[in-house]
Amino acid sequence: MTNRVSIKIVGASGQGIDSMGEVVAKTLKRSGYCVFGYREYPSLIKGGHASYQLDVANEYIGSSETKVHLVLALNHHGIVHNLKDLKSGGILIHSTAGWKMDKASEELIAKESIKVICLPIEEILRKLKAKSILANVIQTSFVWAILGQSQAMLEETVCARFAKKKDLLELNVKCIGEGFALKSAHADLSIAMPKPDPKRWKDCLLLTGSKAMGMGAIAAGMRVYVGYPMTPSSPLLTYIAATQNHTGVAVKQAEDEITAAQMAAGAMLAGTRAMTGTSGGGFDLMGETVSLNALIENPSVYVLAQRPGPATGLPTWTGQGDLHMAVGMAHGEFPRCVIAVSGSDDSFHLMDEAFNIAEEYQIPVIVMTDKQIAEALYTQEPYDMKSIEIKRGKLITDPKELGKLKSTDRYDPNATDGISPRWLPGSQAATFCSQGDEHNGEGGDDESGENAIAQMQKRMRKGEALLKALPEPELWKIENGKLKMENDDDNVDVLLIGWGSTKPVILDVLKGLSLNADRLPLSIGYLHFSHVWPLKTTRFEKLAKKAKKIIAVEGNFQGQLAMLLRQQTGIEIKDKILKYDGRPFFVDELAKAISDKLQMTS
Amino acid sequence: MPIPLETTGPTMKDYWSPVMCTWCDGCGDYGILTAVKQALVELKIAPWQTLLCYDVGCHGNGSDKLSGYRFHGLHGRVIPFAAGVKMANPTLPVIAFGGDGATFSEGVGHIVHAVRSHYPMVFVLHNNANYGLTTGQASSLTPQNQPMNSAPNGMPEATINSMDFIFSLEPTFVARGFSGDIKHMTYILKEAIKHRGFAFVDMLQACPTYNKFATHKMLLEKCYRVEDEKYDPSDPVKARKLAMDTEKRIATGILFRREDIPNFNERLVPRQGKKTRPVDEVEKFDVSEMMKEFR
Repeated sequence: MTNRVSIKIVGASGQGIDSMGEVVAKTLKRSGYCVFGYREYPSLIKGGHASYQLDVANEYIGSSETKVHLVLALNHHGIVHNLKDLKSGGILIHSTAGWKMDKASEELIAKESIKVICLPIEEILRKLKAKSILANVIQTSFVWAILGQSQAMLEETVCARFAKKKDLLELNVKCIGEGFALKSAHADLSIAMPKPDPKRWKDCLLLTGSKAMGMGAIAAGMRVYVGYPMTPSSPLLTYIAATQNHTGVAVKQAEDEITAAQMAAGAMLAGTRAMTGTSGGGFDLMGETVSLNALIENPSVYVLAQRPGPATGLPTWTGQGDLHMAVGMAHGEFPRCVIAVSGSDDSFHLMDEAFNIAEEYQIPVIVMTDKQIAEALYTQEPYDMKSIEIKRGKLITDPKELGKLKSTDRYDPNATDGISPRWLPGSQAATFCSQGDEHNGEGGDDESGENAIAQMQKRMRKGEALLKALPEPELWKIENGKLKMENDDDNVDVLLIGWGSTKPVILDVLKGLSLNADRLPLSIGYLHFSHVWPLKTTRFEKLAKKAKKIIAVEGNFQGQLAMLLRQQTGIEIKDKILKYDGRPFFVDELAKAISDKLQMTS
Repeated sequence: MPIPLETTGPTMKDYWSPVMCTWCDGCGDYGILTAVKQALVELKIAPWQTLLCYDVGCHGNGSDKLSGYRFHGLHGRVIPFAAGVKMANPTLPVIAFGGDGATFSEGVGHIVHAVRSHYPMVFVLHNNANYGLTTGQASSLTPQNQPMNSAPNGMPEATINSMDFIFSLEPTFVARGFSGDIKHMTYILKEAIKHRGFAFVDMLQACPTYNKFATHKMLLEKCYRVEDEKYDPSDPVKARKLAMDTEKRIATGILFRREDIPNFNERLVPRQGKKTRPVDEVEKFDVSEMMKEFR
């Protein structure tokens, strides 16, 4: 397993956990580490128990481990709740003077050789005449010193973020000094960090999946965004809104999700690239609009940011329970594309594809993410603008070509692959109706059976063409100790299947797994589905035939991708590792679950 | 076929559609359809230069009874769709049409936010005070004690006073027309299209099949043009009172208007001073600058 160090900052929501987490993460990245940040918080603004965990390594990681090396508790609830999160020999830091551990905690501390440090923060703050929020800086600095990192590096990041005025700047620097001074009294406290790799990580980005996705959509030419707040899609709305004065994107916070979907649809019909985003409950409300866009063949792009349902469910937690919803939602039969992002890289890089597919096939495209991706902090290589492509399909804007069009071309049932020319209101050309009733070529009402058949077949042919054009799922394997995307499908004994946010954690597991059955090494492959509908199954079927074992790993109760694969291929995946407690898979937890599955058969 | 450049402006013929109308004899939709075409022609707006957006209902069945770019969407949702079109293409004249069922029941939230958002668009309320297409059920604008197909004893719910409601939202343009007065409707629609923000146009129309309480004859007798009586449409208090008072006479015409309030698009800060429209801007956007904050 990758050598990683993990620390966890815990306390009440609103105590500054997120900004502390981000400061430490950024400074670690600048010092040459790959950082993965994971947030847990309840659905309220202030007071509930929250945490920010940072896992740190010198090679790529995109997951968290269950137990950490260090817990920094900003209040006494953290001492009570999170003592059990420490590894053997771990460090608990708090500043609740006079705190008395209960008997069970005392026993745990003794058994696991946990070091407990109480920092005299109040005294220091009084001495410096500093406000209580600066406690965070002293504590952060103390942890920083334990990690054996450079004081100057921390000063640089902290000052850039918090200190806008000169006196505040000096106070911040003093607090950092105090943190280091406190540490010098605890010479034995240290956590051995892996060797940094500044060349690889220093210039990387550190960002959430939501920000990656927002940037991806903007890079892909999205010019209108309409949303309605709902966790975990809200950070996407926030980011696109926060950057609007730079990007010029027209942003609207709608009165509800139906409005959001309708406005985005109108903007797309007018001819720009528009998007809306929501979570499951909001997407339920958008269903009718998805169906409308399918019939009028209006390109549309929806971000579906999952959290566990049903109903309000677990609003601030993660899950993958909405796959069947995305694949099957809304009345009537129509082609659609469902894409699932997995982390910061494809949250950016699949957005131009989403818009391209929407415009090329004139269909709804649903981009699935979840709370884990939306809010986790990833270390990411800078995005390459050269990889962005804008493909608008059969959109006609050239005046000469527009002049040749007939009204009946718009929904021409004989169009190749069912994809007929599209042109925009305001174009000097023959006009048509974007008709929500079943219609003929020009969008006139037509309820005849012959026409219904012709138009249904026209639309469904687009789905068939899309299926042909989509890529097969990626196969990842470990070869000579290195993780690699594979073209060789012949040598896979154990086939893991997944989609969405399970990818980075499965890849982290793969890097550490070496499994033996009958003393022969088992070759493990991970088949990752970025495109979950229409479902490309050729590669899966080929791999499934040879694999000794297939295991689906999903963040839902039923194994929804496994069900779709069975529906499409008849192949039943009997072994499933499923999680539906609102938490993501943790790397050690998943590694054990996979090992257990394999030992059961050997 | 190539379309020659417009020199003299469009004619009524350009808006003609070969599709036969399917409305009942005496339906108010015929008159409104004619007035809409006439208004567009008089404003020299060719069929390809506009988008007409229809809700679901009898009026929506008119979506293929004229030429031009048209959209026929979902029940109750035409307003946000049309507003989205305007966000992307602020220079395209957009008229949305919806019935009283769609506007004051199914999608009542949208009219509230459309008025407060000041979307630059026209909304025409096809007001026949019932659900015609689904065979004469009561709408929230049907008089309470009126027996209807879904309510043989009259509906138990109170009737919404639509004009009182609209005026409570501080609109910038409120007009009322009567489907029997095509010339006057044409005038109202032209002014509505020229309005800076959200123009609410209430078209009172006969529904000869299901509306036995506000017939064409009754409307003909009660409606009068405010323009004939030296009316000043700048006072919202007077306008509200006039709009609500339909006991003896029904005021039609432009009841209230102000042009000093910026519309939604004008209020979008990142769009201010832009020479292009979002529809012109679909191209790669370089995010290099945006990546800096994450380093």
